[in-house]
Amino acid sequence: MNPTSTFFSRQRLVTLAVAVQALFILAVAGAGYATTALGRTIVLRTTPVDPRDLLFGDYVRLTYTISQVTPQLWHGPDAPQKGQPVYVLLQPAGRAYEATGVYATEPAATADQAILRGWVTDSWRHGIRLRYNLERYYVPEDAGQALQKAGIRRALLVRVSVAPWGQARIAQVEEVPQ
Amino acid sequence: MSRKLLETEGPKWVAQGIITPEQQQQLLALYPDEGRVVGLLPLLGSLLVGLSALSLVAANWQGLPEWLRLLLLLGSMSGAYAGGEYFLRRRNDSLGIGLVGLGLILFGAGIILTGHMYQLIGYDATGLLAWALAGTALTYLYHSRFLFILTAAIGGIVQGYSTGQLGGFSYFTAALTVWGLGYYWWRRPDGLLATVLATGLLWQAGLLIGHLHAKITWFFIPAMLIYAAGDWQADRPAGRSLQAPPLVAAFLFTLGLALYGEADTYAGMLRPPFLAYISALLLVLALSLAGKYKRGRLSSATDWLLLLPGFYLHGGLALAIATLVVLYAYSGSVLWRAHQENNADRVTLGTVLFILTTMVAYFKLTWAFMDKSLFFLLGGALLLSLSWYLRRKNAQSLAAKQPDAQPDVQSHA
Repeated sequence: MNPTSTFFSRQRLVTLAVAVQALFILAVAGAGYATTALGRTIVLRTTPVDPRDLLFGDYVRLTYTISQVTPQLWHGPDAPQKGQPVYVLLQPAGRAYEATGVYATEPAATADQAILRGWVTDSWRHGIRLRYNLERYYVPEDAGQALQKAGIRRALLVRVSVAPWGQARIAQVEEVPQ
Repeated sequence: MSRKLLETEGPKWVAQGIITPEQQQQLLALYPDEGRVVGLLPLLGSLLVGLSALSLVAANWQGLPEWLRLLLLLGSMSGAYAGGEYFLRRRNDSLGIGLVGLGLILFGAGIILTGHMYQLIGYDATGLLAWALAGTALTYLYHSRFLFILTAAIGGIVQGYSTGQLGGFSYFTAALTVWGLGYYWWRRPDGLLATVLATGLLWQAGLLIGHLHAKITWFFIPAMLIYAAGDWQADRPAGRSLQAPPLVAAFLFTLGLALYGEADTYAGMLRPPFLAYISALLLVLALSLAGKYKRGRLSSATDWLLLLPGFYLHGGLALAIATLVVLYAYSGSVLWRAHQENNADRVTLGTVLFILTTMVAYFKLTWAFMDKSLFFLLGGALLLSLSWYLRRKNAQSLAAKQPDAQPDVQSHA
């Protein structure tokens, strides 16, 4: 094989492959900005955060009010299975959104409702436990100290951006105003 | 023959007058010291430098501004690729490919860390799939075994993450491994790559069976498809290497069936719908036999003994005994074929399988009826005499075919 004989020489292909990889990483970053810019913001309420979490590591573990729901909210052909991906229909209730239904397939939502995707981690007679992968918040350096000062076993409000294509990310974490 | 053997054994041969000192030097000159260690050192060195840079950056990661973190990720990745190209062009292959591999690992790290940085949630394996795709492309571009193995491992990781964390099997990743890496191996058959590929595919097949909550016996349909691919491969040693992992899985499964199959609850967990399973198995069998026939290796059809679906029997102890008979037939056939092919390594393999089967048989059949100390005494005596008999038989049959090599063969068998 002569490397210089064709337009697609090995050299050019290697350059192309590396460029595509770099662009892909930039696209992941772009998806982050686009989710905030184009998505809508929903607010979720957490259960009280353990302030000791902030002392160790660079993230806090968040548990949401929608992390555990009653089995009556389940809509699906079969009983929810561990590890199953689900769609959670959210409705505004006061300051934050609360779950009104958990679906195996994507449900229709009215204008004020929102859909968040998650996974079943546990399911028993009296409840379904859900994971949204929003449970780890990597705290930015400055925000960490502010949260630590304020976070004496208090619930937090988490602003989550949900893009039209379903991608979600935590945009901001704040205290519940008194 | 290796240089090491010549260096250690050479002086003895000279002393015994088998070769002259001059001939010993000539022989040594045939196998120059390749300096493998020297080839490995740059790889290890680059690994250590990379690790130190990594820990430095990781310690301060959260404190860096976003643009700098992105720049670091992109810079280190491109740098590794560029360095790889640089050294490859200077014919320093191991260092060059090592750096390209580092670039590929950094690409995966870049995807994951960028996702973390923007608190993005992955709902499907698309992001990581790009990693496996990049690995496949680089394997073809560089024709590298190292990148092939790395890509097979990445495919396994992506699939494990997809089924474990995201609750979905990534069929695209599986297809990429089958067609991307599979085609590469098909065109450039290689023993090591065959085993890596087959193991990676078995891992993904196992994840698929777990994800579908199917009976575990369905695992052997994809496993034996991999086996059948080995039958069609023109390169015989590479084909055998591809078949080794599925056969190991089938042997262990049959061994388990002999041990626990007596309890009908266990056998019941293994029974897929009869018609569907048997027709799928027969289809794969036909494919495999056709390949064996085409390549003139029909004698290896005895491998399929392990796939006899004995778990459909409701026999209790009878099932366990029937399974033991199958295991004996299989290990016997391995020994017999090894003698036919005059292959010392496979004789050893057959012996080990035979002894394993005997152990299970002994465990299974006598445990309930005998005092424990007598049990161990008899068991030990049985295994010792069996291994002595098999060794003697191997030595005889191999010695009959190649009288010169007898001492060497004995030490191997």
